[in-house]
Amino acid sequence: MQGGSEVDIVEATGDMLDPAAAAWTTVPVETVRLAPVPLEAQPNAYIRAAWAGRPYGRVSEVRVATVRSGDSLLVRLEWERSGDPPGEFADAAAVFFPAAGGTAPPITIGTHAEPVTLWAWRDRLEVQAALPQAKELIATGPGTFRPRGASAGDTAGSGQTSERPGSVAAASRCEQGRWNVVVQGDLGPASKSGRMGIVVWDGSNDERAGIGAVSPDWLALSSS
Amino acid sequence: MTDTAMPSPLDPGTSGDGAKAPHPPGQVAMVFDLNKCMGCQTCSVACKVLWTREVGEEHQWWMSVNTQPGLGTPKGWEQMGGGWTEGAPAPGHQPSRAEFGGGWEFNYDEVFYGGKGRSVHLAPRDTGDGTTRWGMNWDEDQGGGEYPNAYYFYLPRLCNHCTHPVCVTACPSGAMYKRAEDGAVLRDEEVCQGARFCMEACPYKKIYFNYARNVAQHCILCFPRLEVGVAPTCARQCPGRLAFVGMLSDTDGPIHKLVEEWGVALPLHPEYGTGPNIFYVPPLAPYRLNEDMSIDEETPRIPPEYLESLFGPKVHSALATMRSELERVRSGGTSEILDTLIVYRWPDLFGPFTTDPASLDRTPEKVAVELTEGSPQRG
Ligand code: SF4
Ligand code: SF4
Repeated sequence: MQGGSEVDIVEATGDMLDPAAAAWTTVPVETVRLAPVPLEAQPNAYIRAAWAGRPYGRVSEVRVATVRSGDSLLVRLEWERSGDPPGEFADAAAVFFPAAGGTAPPITIGTHAEPVTLWAWRDRLEVQAALPQAKELIATGPGTFRPRGASAGDTAGSGQTSERPGSVAAASRCEQGRWNVVVQGDLGPASKSGRMGIVVWDGSNDERAGIGAVSPDWLALSSS
Repeated sequence: MTDTAMPSPLDPGTSGDGAKAPHPPGQVAMVFDLNKCMGCQTCSVACKVLWTREVGEEHQWWMSVNTQPGLGTPKGWEQMGGGWTEGAPAPGHQPSRAEFGGGWEFNYDEVFYGGKGRSVHLAPRDTGDGTTRWGMNWDEDQGGGEYPNAYYFYLPRLCNHCTHPVCVTACPSGAMYKRAEDGAVLRDEEVCQGARFCMEACPYKKIYFNYARNVAQHCILCFPRLEVGVAPTCARQCPGRLAFVGMLSDTDGPIHKLVEEWGVALPLHPEYGTGPNIFYVPPLAPYRLNEDMSIDEETPRIPPEYLESLFGPKVHSALATMRSELERVRSGGTSEILDTLIVYRWPDLFGPFTTDPASLDRTPEKVAVELTEGSPQRG
């Protein structure tokens, strides 16, 4: 693991979905360096052409803490927000876990053979008041994200989706130029894999899909 | 529009019911005769009423009619990049809400009911985000030339359902696809994650973004109508009888003849490289007037170089063909091309899609069954 990145999942004290919950101050925090998702890994020639020579992955580090609450895992992410005004895209972040084992590194946010489960959060632009801020996605590459249950990979499905509303929740605060976001999902898949990746998108830099900053190596999840 | 029954992008071409399909698989194409378009926007409104009436769709005009010359909608779209350059996708700009404009609320209450009918003009409410500074059939309505040789014409624009749809290439989530049975370029809105690379890549800037639902949206070629033999609503509602619909490969149909045989219908901006399947008969214009108001029969009022900038170099031979056909008819001859473009019988516009939608069983009970069980036509 890069820099010995390991996050300890500790027992939650009370409701900790709110990133400002006092209980978070007692949870160990790990600082994780992020790197741009490589241009050559981007899923199509258009994106590679459009972003060649344009800097992205501007969020370079994120502070991470994790707690367990019953059957849930809560992950708190904290990073410095870009000072630029928001444009068409919202700031966003996600944690992800190998969906079915495998050894591929997290840098591409899943592969066709080794998909990952993403718990995604995004800020809302002013016009998007009714949108959910959290959702669970299956990723098979940078930006190749689908709602859980939508046809993916080689499985030619019906196109019907069975997103499980409520299976992933998130809460966020932005104070003094820093985002504080908590995402919550089922502990099962996360603890089974024992590994977690992180991706953060700077919306003011038009970052979205595979254009973002990712943890180059898996974080080991341990339980105390 | 939400349509959970859309076919899977991973399984294109299997959603139609072959036994019921009104035509063999192939590319559905359209031809718009710009000589007959009067800019009435009935096509735009027909499309709006049918497909984009929900929250987040207020500013969307999947069919829009711009006045030429002009900056169009979104404002300055021809300078926004995208398309293919030497076989590679070219970076493009994502049009902003302000560049599209539209979706306005008007001060009806003040003008009609607030007693200010004589002092306040009817106008869009300024939302402070620049979206009221430009709009389809509003500020873009320009034109060219100087009196007495001013000129303008109308250009109905919709997604071209391209043969090489760069929007499909640009989509990272696999939400976009071109389906085999009719060549419609579609998007599975359940899969779309709102990344909007399609909007950047489309050189025609005919993809809109639904901010309320975080999905991109564009013309669907009225595919649910095509599946039951009904022509797209823009074509059917056009009072100018100028929008042909049919299979590009049908050698007996008007589209094939106008495009392939006679070469009088051309794609818009062929240099963008996407292979549009919407074609236009370019506008012939009155001759120029000299200063003494005599007619200059040598000079068309619409500069040919301007038309070439829209339709490519083939526009000159297309116009020459049209002029010689006109001349023949004026001299007492006949012209199959002009007879085709006149459209003596309205249904001749619609190829295999002549079914009257009013003849379909669209009772609420039937629609409810289709929504729960899936349309039989969609498999
Ligand atoms: S016109 Fe644009 S959106 Fe339509 S198929 Fe062509 S590239 Fe795609
Ligand atoms: S309805 Fe027909 S005549 Fe009217 S603007 Fe549209 S294409 Fe032109």
